[in-house]
Amino acid sequence: MNPPQIEIQITDQPIPGVDSAPPGCGAFVTFQGIVRDKENGARIAALEYEAYRPMAELEMRRIVSELLSLHPCVSVRVIHRIGVVPVGEAAIVLHVGAKHRAEAFALAGAFMDRLKQDVPIWKVRAIPA
Amino acid sequence: MQVLFFFHLPAVTGCAEASIDAGPGLSADAVWTTLETRFPGIIQYRAGTRLARNREYVGADAVFHDGDEVALIPPVSGG
Repeated sequence: MNPPQIEIQITDQPIPGVDSAPPGCGAFVTFQGIVRDKENGARIAALEYEAYRPMAELEMRRIVSELLSLHPCVSVRVIHRIGVVPVGEAAIVLHVGAKHRAEAFALAGAFMDRLKQDVPIWKVRAIPA
Repeated sequence: MQVLFFFHLPAVTGCAEASIDAGPGLSADAVWTTLETRFPGIIQYRAGTRLARNREYVGADAVFHDGDEVALIPPVSGG
């Protein structure tokens, strides 16, 4: 296994690649779920996802509404990809904006837990490398 | 009512959806019994599969009617 890659910078320039957060946010958490290069120990080129699309969208909306009552945040944006997703690309991207980081991290973590329990989306196939 | 199958279930039933006559209303158990009669292969998946009615999970006490969109939801694996 390669050693972890660590990069730390201090800059006096705008930080590239950072989305502008909605007004009122002091924290903006982005999570990307990436397709790994191995599935059950075997090297793969991609994963294929399928969804019960209308229910998956509703269920994600229900989960977000429920979690917002526990972790008040300013904004939540979820994009889940379906079809063939190559290794290294994102299957899901989650953006959470909040006044403070604690509720943003809490909502993001709880959302991903619930997604993996309740949202009708499936990895239907691993495509070998 | 229409019953939708996802993930591995279409390979078991041979179809992505099926019509069921709900008559005066069917309990969740009756929905399963009807499906198991028509598609015996799904019996082994019943324990791990949840029912949804009109795009929302329902429990064992749910009653299903004609016009409902029912879905069998196998364990999910998104993200």
